[in-house]
Amino acid sequence: MEAVYGLDIEDPKVALDRTEFVHADTRHSLLTKLVRGLGVDTVVHCAVLTESRTPSRTVHETNVIGTMNLLAACAGAGSPVRRVVVKSSVAVYGCEPFAPSYARESYAEHSQVREFLANDLREMEQLVSDFQVRNGSTAVTVLRLGRRLGFQVPTPLGEYFLLTRVPSFHGFDPRIQLLHDEDAVEALYRAAAADHPGVYNVAGDGVLLLSQAIQLAGRGRLPVLFPYWRWIARAELRATGFEMPAPLADFLAYGCVVDTGALEREFGWRPPRSTRDTLVEFLGRGAAEPPTSGPQEYELSQYLQRRRRLAAGRR
Amino acid sequence: MADLTSSEERLRHQLGLLYTDVNAELRRRGPNGHRNGRRARRLRMPAPVPDVIEKVKAELPLLALQAVGSLSLRLRELTGRDVIDLATMMAIVQFISQQVELANRGAAMQVDDFGFDREWTESLLPIFRWIYRNYWRVDTTGVENVPAIGRALLVSNHAGVLPWDGAMIKTALLEEPADPRHARALIAQFFFGLPYLSWFLRRTGQTVGHPDDSIRLLERDQLVLVFPEGVKGTGKPWRERYRLRRFGRGGFVQVAIQARAPIVPISVVGSEEIYPMLGDVGPVAKLIGFPYFPITPLFPWLGLLGTLPLPSKWRIQFHEPVRTDLMGVEAADDQNQVMTVSDQVRDTIQQGLYENLKLRRSTWL
Repeated sequence: MEAVYGLDIEDPKVALDRTEFVHADTRHSLLTKLVRGLGVDTVVHCAVLTESRTPSRTVHETNVIGTMNLLAACAGAGSPVRRVVVKSSVAVYGCEPFAPSYARESYAEHSQVREFLANDLREMEQLVSDFQVRNGSTAVTVLRLGRRLGFQVPTPLGEYFLLTRVPSFHGFDPRIQLLHDEDAVEALYRAAAADHPGVYNVAGDGVLLLSQAIQLAGRGRLPVLFPYWRWIARAELRATGFEMPAPLADFLAYGCVVDTGALEREFGWRPPRSTRDTLVEFLGRGAAEPPTSGPQEYELSQYLQRRRRLAAGRR
Repeated sequence: MADLTSSEERLRHQLGLLYTDVNAELRRRGPNGHRNGRRARRLRMPAPVPDVIEKVKAELPLLALQAVGSLSLRLRELTGRDVIDLATMMAIVQFISQQVELANRGAAMQVDDFGFDREWTESLLPIFRWIYRNYWRVDTTGVENVPAIGRALLVSNHAGVLPWDGAMIKTALLEEPADPRHARALIAQFFFGLPYLSWFLRRTGQTVGHPDDSIRLLERDQLVLVFPEGVKGTGKPWRERYRLRRFGRGGFVQVAIQARAPIVPISVVGSEEIYPMLGDVGPVAKLIGFPYFPITPLFPWLGLLGTLPLPSKWRIQFHEPVRTDLMGVEAADDQNQVMTVSDQVRDTIQQGLYENLKLRRSTWL
């Protein structure tokens, strides 16, 4: 590997060793110049919002339009790109009571869920598969990452398990499946390091019942009435003082478990931490430490300025 | 024991001193000591919980049992026969205490990948055994056709609004064979959207009627129970009882061939009479999202009481296996062969229904 370039609209939160950092968003004109100018051969696309509380309009702009721009920059006759890895999420399946107990990759086409995140991810993956058809020589990998708790900054699901009284729906006890943050990173790394074209589910081994997970969290359960419509479910959760994004309200009623057989066969690897391990480690990690402390912050900003000057000079 | 109480006393004393100090400090600061001007509340030491209550709580079940015991003795003296069966009472008490114990397992509870809680399911067996033996008086034959080890696809006719037939087949496989086995039933998808029922079905080992699920279970050498008629079978009117509906599209045969599992056809007689379905109110069903809304002699006139199934006499027959396990996986793509096997299984079950209806002397006795 000659060089690694990192792109983000915000400054990186940790010091980057071998990475040239470029301050950029997913504008097409910019990306084309970067890809061709730097002769990028592998693109790892992580600017896909899957776990946050971002409003649906922003999610659409980022996930669909951003991916469209990036893929357009990677496409074309003179493109140096040989490998593209796209981060997606198991949220593409939505959560529905009728789904098979272990959703395989092909189930995304049959899922009946109509909800903004699932729709956007489906649309995004459609763009990716179109790209694959038009650029046959490029190996394209889509990783549908399992739900994460957020070891640095808790995701809404992580926050949920840290509540003093955890609300859950009466009469439902779904099976849940989690993915450790580091395993998610390793999966992305493995996809970037070798050709594994295709779509793969990535999730921790085993399942937990939601009630078991709440027991593990060691906090009281707050039963709320069962959800018949999603907006009632969310209103109920909001009444308990917790703002839950729509995709996760469904998750708490019906759960979502995916089959990771394809990943194991193709990568010869599976996330080493099980669902239970992930939750136990998350609960035991104590209060999240801020990513940087005082003196390091200065160092980091110096480092970033240097990098930015370098990058600007290159451009 | 004395040591414990003395140390407890000491602790309590120290705590009391601490409270006194805090109160003195609060008084010294006065009402203005607080930023928002509210009067500082005096801390009060919590009163110790009276031991008597704890003692009574612990001994209540025993006391109740003693009371019932003496009552049954008195009743026997008065009437000259057993009015209250003590063995049954003991079984009930044991059942309740076991349920309480299981409910307090917490995170130590073990479920499999499908959410099946074996321990809890087996603890419910006394109820289903009573229904199986005493309520529907099920006569089961041919249980030796179900393999004692390894995978098999059990295929049965389906009737009776609610899936009681599945529950009884499962009970039969836990009661009758030398080696009891748990059958895992595939349930119509819409049940999994319902509160409580979906929870119960998953916890007792059922899963969604999806080919992926059945293959996954069969590959783990489980017994999988399917009802190819689906809701077309459970929602059929009274006048069409014991006439099999279409067997789906033969998907169950493909699953069996792909997973190399034999098919064991099952005929269940008696399930058609538990809720004689006289009518079906389509619009209401549509409104509440059910596949049908039954009108029976008792439902919906008696409300919840109307959901009690009637005590018909049941027979369950397990037929000889169809050797789909020996066919070779490529046969799953042969539509002709798949439909032939599907028809063969359907005919076996239909024939079994006629024979068992003849063997059953009366519907209710």
